[in-house]
Amino acid sequence: MSVTSKVWRHAYRWDLDKTYLDTRFETFSELVRIPFQGAEDKVNIPGSAALLRELSLAVEGQPDAYVSIVSGSPRQLREVLEEKLRMDGVRWHEFHLKPQLRNLRKARLKAVKEQVGYKLPLMLASRAALGCCPRETLFGDDAEVDAFIYSLYADVLSGRCGAEQLEGLLSHVGASTAAKQKAQRSVITLKPSIAEVEPVETIFIYLDGSSPPALFEPFGPRLVPVFNYYQAALVLFARGHLDVGSVLRITAAFLQADRCGALELANLFQDIVRRGHLAYDAMEKLALAIQDEGLGSETQEVLWSSARRMLDLGDLVASTRAPQQAVSDYVQLLTQCKEAQRTHQLRGEHPTESGGPQA
Amino acid sequence: MPEPEQPARIALDCMGSDRGPQELVAAAAHLSLRREDIVTTLVGDGEVIAPLLDASTYDPRRLSIRHSAQWVDPEKRSREELERKQDASILVCCQMVAEGQADAVVTAGSTGAAILAAERSLGRVPGVRRTALAAVTPTELRHGPKQDPFALLLDVGSTVTVSAEDLVAFAVMGSAYARIISDNPRPKVALLSNGAESHKGPSEVVEAHALLQKMEGVEFIGNVEGLDILRGTADVVVMDGFVGNVVLKMIEGFGEVVSDLASDTHGRKFLWRLGLNMLSSGMKEIQSLLDWESYGGAPLLGFTQPVIKAHGRSGSRAVANACKVAAKVVRSDMAATVERAVCKLPRQGTS
Repeated sequence: MSVTSKVWRHAYRWDLDKTYLDTRFETFSELVRIPFQGAEDKVNIPGSAALLRELSLAVEGQPDAYVSIVSGSPRQLREVLEEKLRMDGVRWHEFHLKPQLRNLRKARLKAVKEQVGYKLPLMLASRAALGCCPRETLFGDDAEVDAFIYSLYADVLSGRCGAEQLEGLLSHVGASTAAKQKAQRSVITLKPSIAEVEPVETIFIYLDGSSPPALFEPFGPRLVPVFNYYQAALVLFARGHLDVGSVLRITAAFLQADRCGALELANLFQDIVRRGHLAYDAMEKLALAIQDEGLGSETQEVLWSSARRMLDLGDLVASTRAPQQAVSDYVQLLTQCKEAQRTHQLRGEHPTESGGPQA
Repeated sequence: MPEPEQPARIALDCMGSDRGPQELVAAAAHLSLRREDIVTTLVGDGEVIAPLLDASTYDPRRLSIRHSAQWVDPEKRSREELERKQDASILVCCQMVAEGQADAVVTAGSTGAAILAAERSLGRVPGVRRTALAAVTPTELRHGPKQDPFALLLDVGSTVTVSAEDLVAFAVMGSAYARIISDNPRPKVALLSNGAESHKGPSEVVEAHALLQKMEGVEFIGNVEGLDILRGTADVVVMDGFVGNVVLKMIEGFGEVVSDLASDTHGRKFLWRLGLNMLSSGMKEIQSLLDWESYGGAPLLGFTQPVIKAHGRSGSRAVANACKVAAKVVRSDMAATVERAVCKLPRQGTS
């Protein structure tokens, strides 16, 4: 069935590298090895496969969820990456990879690295092709400018960023004429207008580079920086995207891959609550839902213990988050975003290692 | 599912230090990224701590915040402050340990407040009448099988007026602590006095000397003088809190003055500059030995649970080292070791 002829309950858009797959490298040889890895060598970010799988599950009496993947990886990796997604049990409706070889052949070196002019027109075209207008949830990471691209995409859909502003921004980042035309055509088709309901519900930014969460405050409350997909699952449970069974399966997958116990889960819960992305009573709701479900798994035990620890820590006044504001200057925001990341990477932000005799 | 090892849970008092909560938050954030065996709860004003944390690189799995609306002002009398402020951060830290929510307290706030809060919430080891603050100091001679370049001094500020029995208890606790922290099975213990002879010094020191000479399980080597501290004649040097605090601050001040003098001299004459440059690696070694920030915190010995006092002027590095000391103390079950050592002491009246 064509995607345009369907009604979708929600659209989930994912980046792949450093969002779904752990493609960090520490040595040059590790970097060189990445393109030659088979599907079985690819490693997931803990919980990513379980989360994407659970989000795309069929829900009785509801339309399907739409899954789109837009990655900056070269098209030559399609076979391996699709095989990996199949191995993970993930279903998707569209999967875009970057024409890196073509960019190199045409000596478009800037385009090899540049992401705004690549991802944004693609996402807008995908939305325009959907025909219907489901709400969307986007997943990216802090390694590049996903936060900026996704926020701009959300603002274009909600009518906060007009066609003229978009054109100016794409010119600024050096997008090709074809990309700019594609974006403009999509905007004409979408006819964005300011509505009460935001088309993009949430933008999750996985903090792969362990950026400080405060770095993303300029993007407003729509953007949720998460340290892992357990935190994302909690937010999605509270917002009605996942049921308790899904949360348990994602938590189990996360615990399988990460060195975590009840103490750490409670800390993760408190972190996302105090940053204002989740209500304090969400843990209570989750605990009650687990009780109703009557499951007796190890994961359930760990979640129960973490709920007790949460109660010990007490309710913290969550930071009050201002409502989503319109951005007046996207070029400036992009520059700030890149600058802040560069500063953070250079600074390192750690006190000197001690080496003291008692330590 | 892999069974994770139990990390040391540290309640870190973020309020009341001279340099403000940012240094403590930075230390905890740093540890969260580097030490899987330490989980820290930042205790203090949540509205102050949270933005500091959000602006840091940290791992939320190993960090949490426990809000407490009050804190002890180090400029005011600790007892009155604690009576007025039931939600003071240091009290909350001690209560967390007492209730099993944390394993150790680390504070850079007032020493008096830490002692009073710990006495109220944790209590002393049976048989311990007075607690002692134990600090390490660099020495010329090396100590123990690890050849540590430092000795343990106690008490350095917990108890100003002591009896002979208190000094004996300090010797026993210091010996137990040195056995754990330096892996030294028979640490040499000495009393600080104004002469090596057994009759020298104030009456409590003379009396303690006699008691320690008869005591089994403590490798007592007699009295040492001030000059022996930095020489490293003993592994553990026992004194009252007033003298100990003066001695410790003098050693710290000495290190800072040496460093300042070297910088000052460096700028004055070309030949001096040349000479200092030639000596720079040696100077750096001396400087690092005298650098109190690298020695972490001082444990308050005698409480049923670990309480580590970091210097009031501690920066993030010193606080991080204090937390590492706390983790080591937790893993070694030091409180139980001290309790076992102290229970061999002749029973005395408590106050």
